Amino acid sequence: MEILESYLRAIKRGLPRAQSDDIIKELSDDLSSQLEEQRAVLGRPLTDEEVFAFFKQHGDPMTVARRYRQDHRSLSLGWELIGPELFPMYGILLSFNLTITIAAVVVAALIMHTPIRVGVFIVPVLAQIICLTVVFSILNLVRRKFPQPWYYPPAELAPMLPVSRWYSLAGLILWATVTVWWLAVPHFPQLILGSGAAHLELAPTWHRFYVPILLLALASVAQRVVSLLHPTWTWVVPVMRTVINAAAVPILGVLMFRSPTLVVLAAGVQNTPSNEQLVENCNGLIRWGILGPWLWLYAGISAVIYAWYCIPHLRRLIRRTRSGSLSVVL
Amino acid sequence: MTPGNSNHDLFENLRLELRRGSLILAVLASLQTEQYGYTLRKALTDHGMPIDEGTLYPLLRRLETQGLLLSEWREEDKRNKRFYRLSEGGKAIFKQLVAEWQSMNSSLDGIL
Repeated sequence: MEILESYLRAIKRGLPRAQSDDIIKELSDDLSSQLEEQRAVLGRPLTDEEVFAFFKQHGDPMTVARRYRQDHRSLSLGWELIGPELFPMYGILLSFNLTITIAAVVVAALIMHTPIRVGVFIVPVLAQIICLTVVFSILNLVRRKFPQPWYYPPAELAPMLPVSRWYSLAGLILWATVTVWWLAVPHFPQLILGSGAAHLELAPTWHRFYVPILLLALASVAQRVVSLLHPTWTWVVPVMRTVINAAAVPILGVLMFRSPTLVVLAAGVQNTPSNEQLVENCNGLIRWGILGPWLWLYAGISAVIYAWYCIPHLRRLIRRTRSGSLSVVL
Repeated sequence: MTPGNSNHDLFENLRLELRRGSLILAVLASLQTEQYGYTLRKALTDHGMPIDEGTLYPLLRRLETQGLLLSEWREEDKRNKRFYRLSEGGKAIFKQLVAEWQSMNSSLDGIL
């Protein structure tokens, strides 16, 4: 059964590797027995919704997997920042991000023929550690506050879960802020250039990217609004995130790798060595700090992941179209 | 958090703590005869000790790692199932635990 397999796969990801096959075999038998018992009681096969309700009651795959783990590692600073359920995922993502970041910095330094010094790694590596720790701490806080819902359903189960209002609301606030900030940048360049705005201005390259980036931000706002108003339209999230992230890849790619100068000296400002240094620092900060290859990679990886999440929706759509109940899906 | 909620949470934590030790005894008692997870869980539920899979299977694994249980995979009803039973060491420990339980029980009866 597809849903059972998906559920077990999701649990398996969080299990100790040496025992995972054994545990999954045993859980599979137990869950199958319970489902068979329910079928026997009802005297008919269970619907997808009933099967999903059964798994929902059984528990979030991550929480189920955690019970089998002996190592309850977590991150604390006097109080719990990242609990044992999230810590393994945090560790994996942090290692992955740091590897990619370090590789990207090395490759960029080689392409641009700049010396590879320890200093060039500090900002991107610290930014990764801080951002990921903050994101996981917030997720941990939400999990502690609302322990019941499933926050990380496997792709195949996701279509059956209404989109959390918290997810939509948090995303709406975030993307509305980003959009307002982006709209304000042409009028208040200091929002991006900081105190350097007195001597610097955005290079003409920005004008080419201004509207596409604005459209991406607006699309992200629209997606959150739709999800907030219609949480059961679960296809909206993966479809729109796939489109938005896929569109962001070439835009950020060109901005990052094909636009040598993002910031120039403002008209009328003298071209002194200190001002040239300021331009170079500001370009470096925007390129490696604010944007950074990690944002470009994030968009690319997210596009692939969300595309993967679209597959079960497509499968359901095809199945329901064939059975003539398209309206139920949309 | 209201005082009512806080009392409820406190009670729930204490209840779980009280139950944890009793569950081990109930599982060991039930596994004097060989059973697999699903039937064991049903047997415990029938005796008024419901336990969810997420608690039972990790517990069984822990008891097996501690040498109290033995397990083997066998086919039954065209499905592979893992059967558990008390090991020799498990039987000895179980006897000691039962004696301890009975002694605690009678002491508690006197106190309560």
